[in-house]
Amino acid sequence: MLSPVKIWRRQKEIRKILGKEGIIISWTKIYVATDEFKKQAPYFIVLIELEDKKRVIGQLVDFDKEKLNFGLKVKAVLRRIKEIKEEDIIPYGVKFKLVDEN
Amino acid sequence: MIAVVGYYSTKFGELWERSLFDLTKEAVNEVLKQTALEIKEIDAIFFANMLAGVLENNLHSSAKLAEIFNINIPIFRVEAACASGGMAVFLANQYLKANTNKTVLVVGAEKMTDFSPEQVTYGLSAAASSQEQEAGLTFPGLYALMANFYLHKYHYNEENLAYVSVKNHFHGSLNSKAHFRKKIIVDNVLESPYVAYPLKVLDSSPISDGAAALVLTNDKEKIKKIKNKAILLSCNLATDSISLAKRKNLDEILATKIAAEKAFKEAKIKPSEIQVAEVHDCFSIAEILAMEDLGFWEKGEGGKLITQFPTMIDKGDRLIVNTSGGLKASGHPVGATGVKQVGEIFLQLTNQAEKRQVKNVKYGLTHNVGGSGGTAVVSILAVSS
Repeated sequence: MLSPVKIWRRQKEIRKILGKEGIIISWTKIYVATDEFKKQAPYFIVLIELEDKKRVIGQLVDFDKEKLNFGLKVKAVLRRIKEIKEEDIIPYGVKFKLVDEN
Repeated sequence: MIAVVGYYSTKFGELWERSLFDLTKEAVNEVLKQTALEIKEIDAIFFANMLAGVLENNLHSSAKLAEIFNINIPIFRVEAACASGGMAVFLANQYLKANTNKTVLVVGAEKMTDFSPEQVTYGLSAAASSQEQEAGLTFPGLYALMANFYLHKYHYNEENLAYVSVKNHFHGSLNSKAHFRKKIIVDNVLESPYVAYPLKVLDSSPISDGAAALVLTNDKEKIKKIKNKAILLSCNLATDSISLAKRKNLDEILATKIAAEKAFKEAKIKPSEIQVAEVHDCFSIAEILAMEDLGFWEKGEGGKLITQFPTMIDKGDRLIVNTSGGLKASGHPVGATGVKQVGEIFLQLTNQAEKRQVKNVKYGLTHNVGGSGGTAVVSILAVSS
C-alpha cells in the first residue's frame, strides 16, 4: 500500500503534469503485471513527450485500440491507478487519453 | 597484470533442493579445488546478489559467508540489479589495481524459484524508477518500449527479434550447465504468448537459480603456477538515469557505449579484434542494442543482420556471441549472470568450452546491464601468451 505521506508528496508532482498535452514516442501492452495491476491486465503503457519536451510514462486509457499509433496526441488526466485493499487510501495518478483531433 | 585463473558455475535452472548459500558454497569450493588454492589464500571476496534482501529478508551476507567458510577477510556484497555480477568483477579489478600480490574471489548467486512470478516481478521492480512502477510499467515493459521504438524507427517487425533467441537456444543446447537445452525455431518464438508487446515469453530470459565464481589474482607466483588463465585487460563501468523517460535516445543504451569506449581504450584493442562476446540479452532486443552500442554493428542494422546468424557457432565466422546460451538459454540468476559471462570468456580463452569452443580465440568481451541501462559493465579479456 502507498502510505498517506507518500501520496501527499506525490500529489505535488501530479499537479504539474495534469492537463498537459504531448505525443506518443513509444508504447507497449503489458500482459504480465505485478499483483497491484493484475486485474487491469492487459493494459497499455505509453511514453509521452510533453509540449515542454519533458518525457513521462503512463497508462493510455479510454481509447479505440485500432487507433493506437506512434506520434498521436494525448492529454494527461487524473485516474485511480491501482488495486487496493478495502481500507487503503485510493491512490490517484496520471494516465493519458487520446485527444479528439487524432 | 590481473588474471582470471579459475571459474566454476553450478547448473543454472530450477534448483529447488538448494538454498542461496548452498549454491554459493558449491561455486566457491569447486573453484578453489580447480585452482588448488585454499580459502586461506584468498584476500577478499566480492559477492554479487540482488534479491535476497527483498525476497527472503536475507542481508549482511558478508558475515554469513564468513561463517560458512570460517574466514575473517573483507567480504563485500555488491548490488546493481542485473549488473550486480559485473559490478563485483569491476570492484575486484579495482581492488587488485590498488593492492599488490592479492588473490580475490568474485562470487555471484541468486535464488529465484522459491517465489511466485508475481513476487519475483515485484522484487525485480525494486530496481525500477518509482514513477514508472506507479504507472504499472514492468521490467519487460521497459524493454518492450525500447523494442517497439526500435522496430518502428528502423522498419522491422517482431520476427527480426526472434532470431536472437533461436541462436542463443542453439548455443544453450551445447552447454551442459544451461537452464534450457532445447533448440527452438523462429515460429516457436512468434507463437509464444506476449509478456509485454512486442516481447513474448521466448524473447525473454527466464527466472533461474544458480551461482558462479571466479578467482582473480595479480600475484605473479600464482599466475605462473596455475595452468589455465586469461588476462583481464580492462573492466569499465558506467551509469545512467534509472527512468527510461529521462533518456535522450530510446534506441541505445548510453551506459553501454560509455563503458565500452573506456574498456576498448584501456585494453588498446578495437571491436573488430574481439572473437567471442557474452552480451546482456535479458530480452531479444537487448542483444541487438548491445551489438550496436558496443561498436560491433552499425546503429539500426542489427535487426537485419541477426537474420543471417552471423554470430552463431557453425554459421558465423568473425565474432561469435553468447556461446553460453546467453541469459536467454543459459538462464539468468541475476547476481550470477555477470560473473558467468566473464567465466564463459575465460573458458573460451583457455580452450575449455567443450562443444561450444570457438577456434583460435585471442580476445573476448563481456557486457552486463543493470535494469534497462542504469548500469553497464564491459570487460575485455585476452588469451595468456
